[in-house]
Amino acid sequence: MAADVDLFPTEGNLGIPLLSSVLLHVGLFALALFGYLIPVGRGESWGGTTGGGGAMSATLVSSIPLPAPQTQTQNVLANQSKGLTQSPPKEQPKEEPKAIPIPAPEAKRVGPRETTQKKPPPKEVAKVEDNKIPFGEGGPVSGPYGSFSAGGAKGGLSFSGGTGDFGSRFGWYVDGVRRKVSENWLKYEVDPNVDTARRVYVYFEIDRSGAPGNIRVEQSSGVPSLDQSATRALQRIDTFGPLPPEYNGRYVAVEFWFDYKR
Amino acid sequence: MKRYTAILLGLFILVAISSLSAQDWIRTGTGLGVEKIRLAAPDFKPVTTDTGTQNLAMTFNVTFFNDLQNTGIFDMVSRSFYPLSVPGAPQEVHLSDWGSPPPNASMLAFGNLGVTGGFLNVQGWLYDTKNPQSPQVLGKQYREQANDENARVIAHRFADEIIFRLGGGVPGIAESKLYFVSARGGSKEIWQMDYDGANQKQLTHLGSIALSPHVSPDGTRVAFSGVTKDGWQILMYSLDLNRLVSFPHFGGDNYSPAWSSDGQNIALSSSRTGNTEIYAVSSTGGNLRRLTENKGPDVSPTWNPKTNAQIAWVSGRTGLPQIYTMASDGTNVVRVTDQGYAVSPSWSPNGQFLAFAWVRHYGPGAPGASDIYIMDIASKQWAQLTHDGGRNDFPSWSPDGRHIVFQSNRTGKTQIWTMLADGSEARQLTTSGENSQPNWSFK
Repeated sequence: MAADVDLFPTEGNLGIPLLSSVLLHVGLFALALFGYLIPVGRGESWGGTTGGGGAMSATLVSSIPLPAPQTQTQNVLANQSKGLTQSPPKEQPKEEPKAIPIPAPEAKRVGPRETTQKKPPPKEVAKVEDNKIPFGEGGPVSGPYGSFSAGGAKGGLSFSGGTGDFGSRFGWYVDGVRRKVSENWLKYEVDPNVDTARRVYVYFEIDRSGAPGNIRVEQSSGVPSLDQSATRALQRIDTFGPLPPEYNGRYVAVEFWFDYKR
Repeated sequence: MKRYTAILLGLFILVAISSLSAQDWIRTGTGLGVEKIRLAAPDFKPVTTDTGTQNLAMTFNVTFFNDLQNTGIFDMVSRSFYPLSVPGAPQEVHLSDWGSPPPNASMLAFGNLGVTGGFLNVQGWLYDTKNPQSPQVLGKQYREQANDENARVIAHRFADEIIFRLGGGVPGIAESKLYFVSARGGSKEIWQMDYDGANQKQLTHLGSIALSPHVSPDGTRVAFSGVTKDGWQILMYSLDLNRLVSFPHFGGDNYSPAWSSDGQNIALSSSRTGNTEIYAVSSTGGNLRRLTENKGPDVSPTWNPKTNAQIAWVSGRTGLPQIYTMASDGTNVVRVTDQGYAVSPSWSPNGQFLAFAWVRHYGPGAPGASDIYIMDIASKQWAQLTHDGGRNDFPSWSPDGRHIVFQSNRTGKTQIWTMLADGSEARQLTTSGENSQPNWSFK
């Protein structure tokens, strides 16, 4: 019996596989080197100068024709003006009173936790004065004396002069003027054939002594006798009484109108 | 420098006269107004409590209230409508109590009075109850010797101030005087009294007959016609000197002197040429000139006080006496009345009206009564003011043109009466003896 067993026989021909392996690796290396050193089918790069046409061009211009911005206008419906009136602060919804559990007889009473909560300062609400009416809420212009009509005719006065508060400060004087003009207008002076006429406006001034002056028809009614009766009503008046001493102006201007309807 | 800027206050007015009836234009033309100012005038509060003050306060309050009521432009609030607390000073005023019903006053006159050191001190205010922002219209203070007469004088003055402010610049008449003929002493003499009939006193003591007194515009002299040794002559009584002063006697009989409102001239009727004609003479008695010339009698001249360029008078040139007007130089004669028996013209202060006594239906079988009428000179429209019977004559206008004084025998004896110029609110001023031919002072 043999003493050892040659499991791996060393004898044989290893030269051929080894040689083919070496050759294969050398071939792969040579192929890689070839691919690096000799570019094949790369072409021109993008944007290259030698490529010819196809690129964008930019030209310097003096102005750019952009669309004009819209003019800024004040919004009549909402602007930042505070106006005469401001909305009162919204009422905070009242919290529902929380249900308080009925303490158990033995339970230890615990007082409510005192918290110091800073209240926000109340918003100041602009006071609305009685004699001012916010824009858009006044309705048609009307005087404090209301309107009157009787016998188919009516009339009116408007005062101007001083600081513009003549009528409110000296309402008694304005009332006196109204009475005196109405007293001195004689309806029978109007042509009896006239049934209706357009409104006639007469302007006059009251000087410090109370005498009316500078009486003129500002807008004719188209009926001469009616215009004349209106001016004669004023010419008949010697004085309305001296202007109040507290009034500083030299005179007050009055525009007097009336409608005529028989 | 023009410093006024125009700001408008709109108010609408009534300028209508509801109808063409005579009453309407009378009310409007005489300044009585188609609407009256509602005025509350509570008693002034006495600040001192002695008896003398109480008596003076009563005199003051009665006089003050009556002056305001008589003026004809106020609708006085009844005392029963007053609030319980009556103010005596501005800080005590609650305007809302007075400006709302039941008083519903537009104006409030209030104040206080007291006596200190023998002087009567009165403070008075007028407030506009509808203008709480600036209610004060008037504030006045008076100080006079404490007696009954001065309490009346102060009341008259404060009332006149209120009337002047609220009445469209027409001065009140509370301090005006009436001159008249009274026979209560046996002979007809010239007398004087306040506009409300108080303080009647005799001026002349001729012991014969004095008629047709007419006071000068400045209130210093009274011209009248009296019987002298030269017949009826124009006599002049000085209210400053309290005696007769000289005035020339013209020939014939001379009657019914009438002052022009500028005090420069006196118109009169004179028969110096035989027939009674109208003459004008300067107030000193010179420059006598004849204005009329015809067969009929011409008497009772009266000037247009607004212009002094016209004279109205009574002429019998067509038979029964009628009213005529002419220019002050005698030209442009116009007949005003066209029927009946018209005498005693009196021209209103604003020159618009003539008041006169008229028997419209005169003669046998005509139940005519002598009544007071007024006529609008321009339109010749007229209206009857008295309707209460008796013989009403010698009308005379008050200086504010809102009242007329006249004589009437409607109660039996001839007495002096006043009424508003629309014929309402007639009041008898005299009761003693017979009193006639009243004349109202110019101011």
